[in-house]
Amino acid sequence: MMAGRLGITAPGIPDNPLSLSWHDSAWIPILNPSNVLEYFSQGSNPFYDRTCNNEIVKMQRLNPEQLQNMTGLEYLLVHMQEPILYVIRKQHRHSLTQVTPLAEYYIIAGVVYQAPDLASVLNSRLLSCVHHIQGAFEETMSFARYHPSKGYSWDFKSQRANLDKVKKEEKPREEPSSLFQRQRVDMLLGELIKKFPLPTPPQPKVQPVAPVKTETDNSSDTKENRTDIKQEKIKPPPEKKPRMS
Amino acid sequence: MENKLRRYEKIEFLGEGQFATVYKARDVETDTFVAVKKIKIGTRQEADDGINRTALREIKLLQELHHKNLIGLLDVFGHMSNVSLVFDFMDTDLEVIIKDNTIILTTGNIKAYILQTLQGLEYLHLNWILHRDLKPNNLLVNAAGVLKIGDFGLAKLYGSPNRINTHQVVTRWYRAPELLYGAKQYGTCIDMWAVGCILAELLLRVPLFPGESDLDQLTKIFSVFGNPTEETWPGVKQLSDYIEFKPLPCIPLKNIFTAAGNDLLDLIESMLVLNPIKRREASECLQLPFFSNKPAPTLGSKLPLPKNVRTIRDIEKPSLKRKILDAAEGGTLSKRLLF
Repeated sequence: MMAGRLGITAPGIPDNPLSLSWHDSAWIPILNPSNVLEYFSQGSNPFYDRTCNNEIVKMQRLNPEQLQNMTGLEYLLVHMQEPILYVIRKQHRHSLTQVTPLAEYYIIAGVVYQAPDLASVLNSRLLSCVHHIQGAFEETMSFARYHPSKGYSWDFKSQRANLDKVKKEEKPREEPSSLFQRQRVDMLLGELIKKFPLPTPPQPKVQPVAPVKTETDNSSDTKENRTDIKQEKIKPPPEKKPRMS
Repeated sequence: MENKLRRYEKIEFLGEGQFATVYKARDVETDTFVAVKKIKIGTRQEADDGINRTALREIKLLQELHHKNLIGLLDVFGHMSNVSLVFDFMDTDLEVIIKDNTIILTTGNIKAYILQTLQGLEYLHLNWILHRDLKPNNLLVNAAGVLKIGDFGLAKLYGSPNRINTHQVVTRWYRAPELLYGAKQYGTCIDMWAVGCILAELLLRVPLFPGESDLDQLTKIFSVFGNPTEETWPGVKQLSDYIEFKPLPCIPLKNIFTAAGNDLLDLIESMLVLNPIKRREASECLQLPFFSNKPAPTLGSKLPLPKNVRTIRDIEKPSLKRKILDAAEGGTLSKRLLF
């Protein structure tokens, strides 16, 4: 039922909600705007605080509209793009009119993620930049030659052959296109999907999270830029961490 | 006696019980509201036995008990062959609050009510008295949000090792399993079970175990906690009305009280235990983290009230405001003196 993308964190590293995801396969095919909050309020969802006002209202069988009159923690469906995307906000209500947003969660194809804060996004972007720059430096260093009489020089020829091989293998995994191209393709694909909507695929029981993600990437990207950013934002850390450990 | 009759001016009729009628009255001497409980004489035969037993209990015990969370017996007077008891006036009770769906009971509110109940009960138990009829209806609340335990008609001293008590006490829904099994000797644990049921009712807004008969009551209890065995409750089979139940699985409390935090679940779990020996005392419960954790118990003045009481408080508000203003002015005055 639960699939933590980085479920096994190294000892000493506290559970980071940004590296978690959650879904319940039984619910995914039947998600709709009226039951998505109920789906989110499942006991096994690590993002859901049982002591929130929503749960109090449910437990005391009160009118859901009473939520407005309460103060404290509550969850609210703030945005949806049927049938694939729902955004739920966690907020602290001070009065009828005053609330402080605490966090946002997005549900894409039934999988729940926490939307990262700006600091985490910058952090992970910087980390991936530095990582790539470091890679570039390491690669360049392997071409540098030194000869006592000639001093430093570049030697690209001797290693090019096997480097090319490596590059070819790696290329498909690196991004082979510019941002513009990708967005354009995504948009076109989105148009096609709109014209020929996918039948909601019956979900395999235990699915690796990654495939679900890539599948949903395209469709959501086109629809809203914001989610596009979020998708990319959250991508680097989980992929990177296991590699480093 | 005549001056007593004149001292309390009848304002309105409040309610009628089996043994008494209750009126709201104004105490002319102190200009406060009070509740006057006039004990019915009943039939000639009953009258021959002397004053009604429940009234006698209330008079006997309440005269010696003084605690902010116990109903105060202010005065007793007789007129002709009637006896009247004068109590603190209370605006409402927990039953009304629980049933009023416009009221939201947040964790803070529930904490305030249960805290006051347990403080009153702790005092009662420390003075070797069992209440024996705790239910939301008997937990009275006034407009200032102070909760007082009321109705001591069944209250009794406990602690004598050989004394036999009746097990036909406590309203069924709040009756502890040992009473349902016919225990004749019991202690504070029967009151604690009732408080546990009341706490559950505050959370759910419906009774936790609304049994239709004593047997149904036990069935409802065991369908949550599983049935007792000699291991979980040593000696249960010796109780006079013991009945074997077919094994029932127990349901985790977490699934019943879905919005309750772990500290609150701990409190419920320490009061609702089948084995009476394992049930915690009021003083022990008050030490639990639930009462020191956030959120803090709601202040009395901020506790929700039913609509009819609320309007009264709003009318009285200006005077309170003036009082605060007066106090503030007094504060500035002393400051001025400093200069």
